[in-house]
Amino acid sequence: MPLSRFETERYQRQLMVDGWDQERLKRARVLVAGVGGLGGLSATYLAEAGVGYLRICDSDKVELSNLNRQILYTAADIGKPKAMLAAKRLYAQNPEIEIEAVLDTLTETNAGELASGCDLIVDGLDSHSGRLKLNKASFDLNIPYIYGAIREWMGQLSFFNPPKTACLACLMPGELKIPGPTPVFGALAAAVGSLQATLALKYLMTGEIPAANALLIFRADTIVFEKVTFERRPGCGVCGDAAPPGPRR
Amino acid sequence: MTVFLRAGGQLRAMIKPDVDHYTRKVEIEGGKTIGEILEHISLNPAFVALMYVDGAMKDLSYKPADGETITLQPPVSGG
Repeated sequence: MPLSRFETERYQRQLMVDGWDQERLKRARVLVAGVGGLGGLSATYLAEAGVGYLRICDSDKVELSNLNRQILYTAADIGKPKAMLAAKRLYAQNPEIEIEAVLDTLTETNAGELASGCDLIVDGLDSHSGRLKLNKASFDLNIPYIYGAIREWMGQLSFFNPPKTACLACLMPGELKIPGPTPVFGALAAAVGSLQATLALKYLMTGEIPAANALLIFRADTIVFEKVTFERRPGCGVCGDAAPPGPRR
Repeated sequence: MTVFLRAGGQLRAMIKPDVDHYTRKVEIEGGKTIGEILEHISLNPAFVALMYVDGAMKDLSYKPADGETITLQPPVSGG
């Protein structure tokens, strides 16, 4: 799938980046699950970079309290469905790519269907329970999953693709005990969403897994990045010996 | 032995920092696990999502050495 003259000019500056493979990006298909603070940012950069197909899934409507961090939306959008708005704005940013909007809530039942046919899943969700469903679909379909999450001054992200790496359930298998609504601010969401997009682009162009079996933690209050290593958990209920029979077993 | 607990977010106040803004010094009998250390300071481990020492993930059964710093990561789940 060669690049058109228009694409060659559009992507001129990134084509100069060592190791960049625009044609691979053009062939790539990515699910961005959730287009809020994290997913809105990562979807923006994946669209601008020229990822050929983006499936964006979100069942929420824009609320006033979203606007401190969700840059795809404005006050005029309150009450409107995020997935449709995001698709429209991403397409306006890059009409060379295909974007599919899905106005659906991610569930155990539909997670696999949502991810089906994609090369990569990028996490833009706002709950750990949702992320565990995405992680399960990632394992069942053998589609790599880029995890990201934020709270207060902390952001964290990782790349999961068992058996090459551990999975999210190896690390945090159960529900998390979290009091009240999540405190978040826009610049941190942007930092983590942008890092997720960077990991995604690297993987899509090279097939290499950046930072395998490592959780990257960003402590924004002290501007410190930490890389914490971990291993697959043999007793993991998703990718380990304790997993029930499924598509990959 | 002496171990240091370090935490941010909602866990920071729970560990009652006394060394700096994020860190608490704990004097405890040697050979204790992280789980026992948390019990010693009356911190419910359900509030801790992850824990690590020197850049490597650990669990509640890990027995830190004298002088080690255990970083406790609270649940981080927003987007």
